[in-house]
Parts: sequence; C-alpha cells; structure tokens
Amino acid sequence: MKDDPRKKITLMVTLIILIILFVLKPYAIIYGVQRGSLYALVAIPLALTLGIVGILNLAHGDFLTLGAYLSYWFFTSLGLDPTVSIVLIVPLMFAIGAGLYKLTISRVLKAPLLNQLLLTFGLAMIIEESINLIFTSRPRNIFVNYASSSVRIGKLQFGVYEFTYTLAAVGVLLFLLYFLKKTKLGKAAFAVGQNPRGARIIGINVEMIYLLIFSMSVGMVGIASALILPRMSIFPLVGAPFTLKSFCLAAMAGLGNLKGILWSGLILGIGEAVIQSIEGYSGWADIVFFGVLIVVIITRSYRGSYS
Amino acid sequence: MEVSNSNFRRCREVRKFLVILFVLLFLFSLGVAKVKPIKLGAVLPLGDITGRQAANAMKLAVKEINEAGGVLGRPLELIIVDDEMKPEKGAAAINKLATIDKVDFFIGGMSSGVHLAQIPILKKYKKITVWIGAASHLCEQAIGPDADWYFHLHPWDYQQGASYAIGWKAILKKYPQVKFDRVFLAYEEGAFGTASYKAYLAMLEQAKKGKGVYVGLVKEFKGESFKSAAFGGGDYRAVLRHAKEWNPDVFIWAGYDADALPIVAQAKEIGFAPPIFIGAPPGWPADFGKSPLSEGIVLYGMWAPSLNKVSPVAEHFYNAYVKEFKEEPVTYFAPLGYTNVYFLVEGIKKAGTLEKEKLIKALEQVEYDSPLGEKLKIAPSAIIKHQGFTKQKILQWQNGKQEVIWPFEVQTADFIYPFPKWEDR
Repeated sequence: MKDDPRKKITLMVTLIILIILFVLKPYAIIYGVQRGSLYALVAIPLALTLGIVGILNLAHGDFLTLGAYLSYWFFTSLGLDPTVSIVLIVPLMFAIGAGLYKLTISRVLKAPLLNQLLLTFGLAMIIEESINLIFTSRPRNIFVNYASSSVRIGKLQFGVYEFTYTLAAVGVLLFLLYFLKKTKLGKAAFAVGQNPRGARIIGINVEMIYLLIFSMSVGMVGIASALILPRMSIFPLVGAPFTLKSFCLAAMAGLGNLKGILWSGLILGIGEAVIQSIEGYSGWADIVFFGVLIVVIITRSYRGSYS
Repeated sequence: MEVSNSNFRRCREVRKFLVILFVLLFLFSLGVAKVKPIKLGAVLPLGDITGRQAANAMKLAVKEINEAGGVLGRPLELIIVDDEMKPEKGAAAINKLATIDKVDFFIGGMSSGVHLAQIPILKKYKKITVWIGAASHLCEQAIGPDADWYFHLHPWDYQQGASYAIGWKAILKKYPQVKFDRVFLAYEEGAFGTASYKAYLAMLEQAKKGKGVYVGLVKEFKGESFKSAAFGGGDYRAVLRHAKEWNPDVFIWAGYDADALPIVAQAKEIGFAPPIFIGAPPGWPADFGKSPLSEGIVLYGMWAPSLNKVSPVAEHFYNAYVKEFKEEPVTYFAPLGYTNVYFLVEGIKKAGTLEKEKLIKALEQVEYDSPLGEKLKIAPSAIIKHQGFTKQKILQWQNGKQEVIWPFEVQTADFIYPFPKWEDR
C-alpha cells in the first residue's frame, strides 16, 4: 500500500491543531471527543444499513428512542442498570429490527426511493406516537451516581462517563470491521453491498443478508440507547435529531467508509465543542456542524474521490 | 258471583291507577332530563401533561358541582377540545365550541402562541371567557383594554418576574445571610429562553434607573444561551463552566423539563455549586424529585402538593384528584383548571343569572379560596380589566418534594441556604 503524502500531511496538520486546541481549550477537546463519539456510535449502524441494504432509514433516531425507553423500563421495573441492560436491549432490538424488516422494509427495497422514505418516515411516526401514548411526552430520567462522576487531573476536572461512548464506538467499529472482513457471513454481506446482483448470482442469499444487516443495525443502536439513558432526559422525540446527524456523518465519511464515520464524528464533535466554549457563540454550534459538513462534501466532490 | 265481580272491578281500577302513575313518572323524568345544562367549552393541549391534568381537574370540579345540585338548578356540561398546542387548532376549537356545541362560556388555555391565534375568534363571539393559560404580555396586548368579557387567571410574564423580585427581597430580609448580588442566567436559545433573558435585561435596565421592583436586588447580571435537550441539545458543560468562572451568587437556568436533570448532573460533574441554584422550566420531569441531585434546587411555581399542609382547600383538591384519577397532580395547571370552573360557578351563583352584564359584575366581586393556596380576586393588570393571580411562589426541592419558601403565609419549609455541596449528597 503506497503512502499517500497528502494523507500524512493532513494527519500532521490535524494533530498539531488538536494539540494547540488542547493547550488553549482542553475542555473543548475532552467534550468534543465524548460528544463526537456518541454521534459516531449512532451513525455507524445507519452507515451499515445504507451501505449494504441501500435504504435511507428515517426511523433510525427513533430506534435510539425506543431502545432508551426499553432500558428505562428495565431500570424502573427490574432495577437493571442501563449498562448491564445492554445484554438484553441488543437482542431485543435485533428482534424488533428483524420483525420490522420482514413486515415493512423488505417490501419496499425495490420500490422508488420516495416510497422507502415515506415508509421509514411512517415507522418513525408510529414509534414516536406509540411511546407518547404509553409514557406521555413528559421527560423521564434515571439517576445513577456514576453518570455524573468526574476526575481531577491537575487543574482539569471533567466527567468520565461519556468516555463510554468512545469505548462503545471504537468497539462497535472494530467488531464490524472484523465481521465484514474476517467472517464468512460478513464477507458475504460486504459482497452484497458491493454488488447485490453479482452476489445473488454466486449463490449468496441476499434477502437473508439484508435481514441480518438491518437487524444488526437496530441491535447496535440499542447499545447507544442504554448508554445515553443515565445522561439524558428521554422523551418521544429525543432520538429524532440523531437521524439527521447520522446522515450527515455518513455523507461526510462517504458511502461504506465505517472508519471515516468515527473520524467525522470526532471532527464534528470537537468543532461543536470549540464553538460552544467561546462565550456567546454557543448558538453557532449547529451552523459550524453543518458548515464543516458542506465544506468536506464539496472538497471531496472537487477532488473527485470517495474512499 | 257478586263478590268476584267487585274484586275484578277493583283490580281494574288499581291497574288503571298504576298505569297513570307510571306515565306521570315517565313524563316527569323526561321533564327533568330536559333541564338545559350550562355548557362550558374548554380548549386544552390534551397531549401535554398540563392540558391533560387541567382537563381532569375541570371534570372533577364539574362532577363535584353537579353532585351538589348544579348551578341555578342546572347541571354543568363540560366540552373539551384538544388544541394539540397548535395555533390553528386552538382557533378552530373556539369556532367549533361556539357554533356547533353552542357553549355558554369559554375556559381553559395553556400556550401563549395558541392563544394569540384564538384571540381574534374570541373577540368575534365575545362570550364570557375565563382563561387559565397564556403568560405572554403579547396576549394581553392582543386582547386590549375593552374586552370586559375576558377574565385572565394566570399571571402575566411581567407579573411573574416582578413577583420573583418581591419574593427574593422578602427572603433576603428574613434570611440576612442570603446574597443575591451576582446573577447568572443560562437560557435556552429558543423563544422561551430568549424571552426570559430579555425580560430580565429590561427589568434590570429599569432598576438601574431606580425604577421597578428589581431596584436594590441585583448588582451584576450575566446571561448565556444553550441548546435545550428538547431541541437536540443537552450539553451544558460549556455554559456551566463559564458560570462557574464568573462565580455568581445565583445561577438560574431557563429551559425545558428535558434539561432539568442533565443540567444538575453536569453541574455536579464540573464541581459547580452556586449558593442559590434556580431552575425555571415550565414543568419538571417525572423523576426529578427521586434524584439526590434535586436537593436544594429552587424553582418558581404556583402550587405544590406540600400546600396540603397549610391549605384545607388544597388538601381537598389533592385528595379528590388522586381518588378520582388514581394519579397525583404534578402540575399547577391541575389546581388552576379546578379553580377555573369553580371561579366561574361562584360568579354565576353570585349573579343568580347567566345574563352577561350582571355576570361580569358578579365575577369582578368573587373572592375564591383556591387550591393554589391563595384567594382569587379580580383586579386590572397593565392593559386588561380582569386579571386574577398576579404572582408565583418561590419553592425549593427538599427530600424529593417541592416545598413553599415564599410567600411566608403559606411557607411549608425553611429555606435551605447555601445550596448543598455535591459531595454531601
């Protein structure tokens, strides 16, 4: 593999900028890494579905909401800590994803894009309204002491819980890279994502792969759902903003570039945090988020290359 | 033979009498059923906890009044329409209640934005309206000074702001160790938070000129916005850190219920514990009191269940609500909805008629002991003639409950000051 000098330069410049920022605004780097990891953790499953199944899932953020409420129910009814409940949430969400895929998604894969969007939008509405009916719109919270614990290093005092997002994002990414490159099923899924017709010709059960990948995607969102519960208020629309941010990260990283999702998440998270750290400029955070996204996409288009 | 003939005639007479009696009873029951009810048309956001509980409380009030014989010999009929917190639906609801349901009065309300759309429609019908929602002064301006058919029970925003100053001055007098010189306001960047920030700025500008209730209260003020969790935000660490560096006597956050627990958790995380920590959302999340982080948080509101300790009316309302609906009232819109119906009914009883002019005069004279822990009396506000409540209360979360700190007449617990250290919880 040839070393790309442009990549080396980009990496060096990025490192230098990060070091300077860490010296000037250490909290922005810490919070940015934490927040960016969460964006990446939620976006990676969406990118998986988009890259292999080829569907734009507008209900993606609502699966995050659903998982959070399941985790809330486990906590309040069974006293199960959210981080422990992941072992239940993931297979449950997997099953829900499989059921929804069979009932709905599988029927529109060959339909026009608009139909797919409308279907997943409908799913999103059903999830939101169902949660609203059962739990009402009133925000729910849980309290676990460790979620607001912090460490002090020199003059810096910062929370540590949100580094679980970083660990989870890296863990999910490594798992998927291993799965897609080293396992038979994963290689089949990779092939389907590259060329579904060709995959079918060589005997791969494409429909089964779609079902598996979609279900895995929903299952993995369950990890994020359980992890956000100790830190966030949950309400029927809590996951909705993550749908758009996940699409943005997928667009920024490029189709099929799972590693790129993590880097994109970190860049955008740090960008947001840096802006928020400047007094009076927190309102610019969203502008910067989408501004950076647009610059990256235009630059990529200009260069004419997608990884 | 003669004996059996006379028995037969007697039986026929008895049967005839019974038939006539049943017919008379039937006609009487029809007559009673035809007593025309007094129709109350309520518009509320039933999908929101405030609207849902206000509606329940109104139903409770109507039930109690009807069980006691109704008003002027007539039962009350409550018709509730959901405005879904949408202005166009709120306006349509008024039209529907007026033209299809033909209600006698309009009651209810919550959102100021919805009410602004309803006001032109209300002005079209000019029915007596007793409104429990809409705090924005823009609504008062829209109603105008000539709407003598309009009664507004919820304090206006400027009245709320003024009442906080009056309350804190009283607290400073009672508790001399309390300081209120440096105030930092973290506000959500949307319309609600920005309006709060601008209102504070305006009041403090007036105070600098020696005018208004904030004179002598706040010496330094700083504000910074954040993105509310309700709109995809939820990271307050930057604004909390800026507040910590500024070292205020008082930290206030004006956001939504979704911000409540995360903001205190993140304050704990960065070690920020100002002497007074005030939360000013329109409502609180369901589980907030269960968290040890809630201890010592000050809030503004019109009611708390702890008022049961000091107000028999509040206690009656609370117990009746729990018995009827198997849930606790958690928002002040519940007792306010209850007050809405009872206030109107007291006016009707006083007037002895539904005739508009007489009823308006009667409502102006009503003094109703409300479950909000204060007497409801009507007086003019800045623009309108008929304003009810004019202040909020200062409360504090203590042991998972909201306790009243001020007004002292209904105080239910001592003020905890300074805000307890995070390490002590």
